[in-house]
Amino acid sequence: MLVLTSLSFSIMVLFCLAMTKHREQVLESEVSMLAVRFFRPFAWLLLLFTGYLSVDMYGWSIGPALLFGALTIATLLLILLLTYRAKIVPELAIVLSLIASMSIFIA
Amino acid sequence: MKDNFRQSMKWFHTWVGLVVGWILFFMFLTGSLGYFYQEITRWMEPERPFVVQQISTEELLDTAQIYLEKHAEGADGWDIMLPNIRDQNLRVGWRHPAEPGKKRGKYKIKVLDVNTGDKVERRATGGGRLLYRMHYRLHYLSTNISYWIVGFCSMLMLLAVITGVVIHKKIFTDFFTFRAKKGLPGWLDIHNVLSVIALPFHFMITYSGLLFFLFTYMVLSTNLQTNEDEYREMRKEIYPRTVHLDKTNQAAKMLDISFLYQQAKTTWQASELSYVEMFAANDVNAHALFVRHETDITYNPDDEITVNAVTGEIILSKHKQYTVAAMIHNGFFSLHEGQFSGPVARWVYFFTGLIGSAMIASGLILWTTKRKPKQMKKTNGPDFGYRLVEQLNIGTIVGLPIAIAMYFYANRLLPLDMANRINWEANVMFISWAILLIYPMFRPAAKAWYEQLQLATLVYIGLPLVNALTTDKHLFNSLNKQDWNLAGFDLTLLLVGGCFAFAAYKFKTLQISKRANNDREIEKQTNRPVQVANESLLPLQQVNKEKC
Amino acid sequence: MPYLVNKLNFSSPRWSVLSRVLAATLGGYILATASSFFISQLLMTSVGKYQAIHIGLMLTFIVYACVAMWVFSVKTATKAWLGLLKLSISFVVATWLLMQFNGVAS
Repeated sequence: MLVLTSLSFSIMVLFCLAMTKHREQVLESEVSMLAVRFFRPFAWLLLLFTGYLSVDMYGWSIGPALLFGALTIATLLLILLLTYRAKIVPELAIVLSLIASMSIFIA
Repeated sequence: MKDNFRQSMKWFHTWVGLVVGWILFFMFLTGSLGYFYQEITRWMEPERPFVVQQISTEELLDTAQIYLEKHAEGADGWDIMLPNIRDQNLRVGWRHPAEPGKKRGKYKIKVLDVNTGDKVERRATGGGRLLYRMHYRLHYLSTNISYWIVGFCSMLMLLAVITGVVIHKKIFTDFFTFRAKKGLPGWLDIHNVLSVIALPFHFMITYSGLLFFLFTYMVLSTNLQTNEDEYREMRKEIYPRTVHLDKTNQAAKMLDISFLYQQAKTTWQASELSYVEMFAANDVNAHALFVRHETDITYNPDDEITVNAVTGEIILSKHKQYTVAAMIHNGFFSLHEGQFSGPVARWVYFFTGLIGSAMIASGLILWTTKRKPKQMKKTNGPDFGYRLVEQLNIGTIVGLPIAIAMYFYANRLLPLDMANRINWEANVMFISWAILLIYPMFRPAAKAWYEQLQLATLVYIGLPLVNALTTDKHLFNSLNKQDWNLAGFDLTLLLVGGCFAFAAYKFKTLQISKRANNDREIEKQTNRPVQVANESLLPLQQVNKEKC
Repeated sequence: MPYLVNKLNFSSPRWSVLSRVLAATLGGYILATASSFFISQLLMTSVGKYQAIHIGLMLTFIVYACVAMWVFSVKTATKAWLGLLKLSISFVVATWLLMQFNGVAS
């Protein structure tokens, strides 16, 4: 569940960075438009992977249900951070996805 | 109604939400608490011992069986509920044979002290069960009337969810938008954010809620399409049951349940067993059903194993057959109840439920915020309708959490030998709520908000203290004994109290800054309209807090 | 009496709203019920009687929601009532035709 939430957070950060108004909020430096164009497809890919992971971990019925829960919590967290601590969002996303990928490989 | 579709839907959404908003808030909040009903019951029965770790399932089963053999004589069926992460006590239950003229016998449930093997004398309490039953049984009303009211409200909720999506113009571009400090748009953002992020949950919980009483609500259609026998057949198909052999009244010696469990568990991992049902105990037909924790949202036949209690053979019973529609139906029930979820997922469920409550609350507050500037300009003061909505908002959004805390206070403070103690626990809750609903009538809105927020802080922080004064199951002991359910309950209360304190503080500061703004405005003699922004933000913060 | 009628002021938008509320609750319920007959008759041959009825019932809430939204979106309350009437009758007639076709007494 925590892995799912971490990954969901990264997904949502990617979606959010794909939007200009939020990118300006979160990142200080400019990102090349080429990179930006990859954010959204990459987010969808990651979502697909997380979906697969949830089914793999919890079975086809519980997995998706938990994924929706994870997405809800992750989005809420992201929105609150965007409003109050926007600058730490990228760092947090990187740390969380590292933790998530580590725990996947260990397990 | 209005000029275009979206406009009329906007109007519709506003009024549909307003009409039953407070009942929906009640349903969502008590329903969310329901995700922890076992934990709440455990807290409300402080006579139960602390967790005793490291006892094998077999030993527990033996203890339970010895107790049942002695005390449940003549009972047709036994239940043994093993300690689990949610309720760490061993519990046994049995149903007495039906008295003549009655359909079913009385059901008794006892908590056992695993050290002594004897039952624990518990106080009379409604527990978490009574609290969560309120979210569809509404307590004082008769069952049928409650179901219809709940159904009506759920239907309007479903409408509010659907129309909400229709009228939300920028559901994707504004997905992450939350402008915290801009008053009315801020409220709108909060309402939108809370609705959108948990949209799958809101839809699922509402629709599945309606499905629970499908045949009650759609009675006209069912009656016209089926006769009595067909109806019974249809229900059998939708809610399939395993048929169990009845008592023959030929006594037989049963094997130990722990031994039967050894036979049954071959395919299971350790500590997966959730409960055991014994049918036709001490009879030739005696057989035990071992059920492990749910591993699927739909029915998984591997979760149950039946064993003949006399011979010890595994009975290959026919699996329940679900039609596709029944499987979907049943799947929605599981999703609604979330019984399958582990500790983290359960918190997510609870939290999402609170998001739902907060969404409803923010919608209700939005209604008054939007109308406030216009209402304040009226020479005779705000309209009756506006004032009523505001009062109900204060009395419900802050008042209901306080009332729920009062339910817990009643549990600790009412005399233990009181007659009708269970009823009185609930009465205390509803009386407090009634008082808190009436109270804002006599106070200016801003003061009433602030005072009730303070009161909420007080009652939530005070509850663990009262717990410490009246029982030995207080925070210090529970942490010491590592009883995380008990400790978690007290810690959550403190956290909620802290959130209310923060909300009250925030409310006050924004109130002051708003007044300062106003003064400046007057000094400047400008004609700009007074900003409602900050002031309206406050209750909202509090709503956010409630989720904590 | 005319005084009373004047006082009630039937042209006021309040009456239109009340009429729509009634149309949505009662009319919507009837229409949802009629739709459940139709759906169950439609599916009866392929999935069996009980499952067909069950699916019809489960979908009624969705139908009901759509109907209620529609009632509040059309120009006048009269139009809403007429629409409900037309749709309910068509569902009943369609159900009857399907029953003849299915050939099973229901």
